[in-house]
Amino acid sequence: MGVMRIGHASLKVMDMDAAVRHYENVLGMKTTMKDKAGNVYLKCWDEWDKYSVVLTPSDQAGMNHVAYKVEKDSDIDELQKKIEAWGVKTTLLPEGTMPSTGRMLQFNLPSGHEMRLYAMKEYVGTEVGTTNPDPWPDGLKGSGAHWLDHLLLMCEMNPPEGINTVADNTRFMTEALDFFLTEQVLVGPEGNMQAATWMSRTTTPHDIAFVGGAKSGLHHIAFFLDSWHDVLKAADVMSKTKTKIDVAPTRHGITRGETIYFFDPSGNRNETFAGLGYLAQRDRPVTTWTEDKLWTGIFYHTGEAVPSFTDVYT
Amino acid sequence: MSIFDSRPKFAVHVAQTDETFPCAGNESLLTGMVRLGRKGIPVGCVNGGCGVCKVRILGGEIKALGPISRAHVTVDEEDQGYTLACRVAPQTPVNLEVAGKLNKPFSKGRAESATASPSIQQQ
Repeated sequence: MGVMRIGHASLKVMDMDAAVRHYENVLGMKTTMKDKAGNVYLKCWDEWDKYSVVLTPSDQAGMNHVAYKVEKDSDIDELQKKIEAWGVKTTLLPEGTMPSTGRMLQFNLPSGHEMRLYAMKEYVGTEVGTTNPDPWPDGLKGSGAHWLDHLLLMCEMNPPEGINTVADNTRFMTEALDFFLTEQVLVGPEGNMQAATWMSRTTTPHDIAFVGGAKSGLHHIAFFLDSWHDVLKAADVMSKTKTKIDVAPTRHGITRGETIYFFDPSGNRNETFAGLGYLAQRDRPVTTWTEDKLWTGIFYHTGEAVPSFTDVYT
Repeated sequence: MSIFDSRPKFAVHVAQTDETFPCAGNESLLTGMVRLGRKGIPVGCVNGGCGVCKVRILGGEIKALGPISRAHVTVDEEDQGYTLACRVAPQTPVNLEVAGKLNKPFSKGRAESATASPSIQQQ
């Protein structure tokens, strides 16, 4: 089957205590593990593998790598061949390179971001279990996010120089990893330049997204909530915890997601969103947003540009 | 003084435009700078990570409010007075010059700063 879903994001943080407080008290994750290097591993209550966020101590913000889980161990070998044949070098990291995690295939996207694929991560179960489960567990903190859902990577784009790693990544993800395109922003005089794309392996509008920027970086990691009211409550939590809100609750035209954006204590952007938008399928026609309606796609209600949303990232 | 904000303020001077804004000792220079009402002042992550609010402190005492990203302020730059405005608070009157992405909103002269004078008079 190949890639199933996003597995984890490894983030750089500048103040570990503040970062752990944020991911526990604002997102509602729980710390499941710490290692000797000082890395902290966390999961959401509705996730069954050991961790979905890794926080690593650093003197700057940003992403170390993003990992996707494949179905079978043999998928790693098959995808390694496809990725190498596409022209991207790979490295096999042995089991145990990350705790509680099997061997990982490591490579860089055309945009430079490090991606890893793995088939095995220690199973610990959701907080409601598998037999006659309650719909949610007691004692949830903060917004009580269900799971890490997707992330958005800012990708170097400089059309005069002929650089468009949004388009390169999109082609790579399609041809080497068998993702499919759900939505795109097309710009330029001919209206044919991919400036942003949303791609899926599951049945949701995006498991990964790419947006063009001056340099590559992390735009945000996103966590799933049940409902619009949960998005409102998440905003309440952010006010209570003095978390910097970047974009107050609204809806995206793109993916139809109901959303709120905010920053972790190192300035890495987070999103909590509700609404899985629509059933994403390989034969569903691709949605296109044009240059003149770009901001309606991003913030559906106002349709107005918020420069910090596209210019600020880690 | 504004009836809604009676905190004592320090005067913070921007070298490039000769503007001055008031800033309390327990708030970031960026929070105070936004009161200038100058169009385009970038308020990013306000947590020291994204680097859009880079400034160089030319004079005065500041207090750190948290870590700043080495990806945006190197050790050498920090030695020369560079920092991120979201992560420092004034402890005395401060003289600074804006840097990096702050250059643009401060490059068009005082005319662009429609509300600068009224906001200062309110203090």
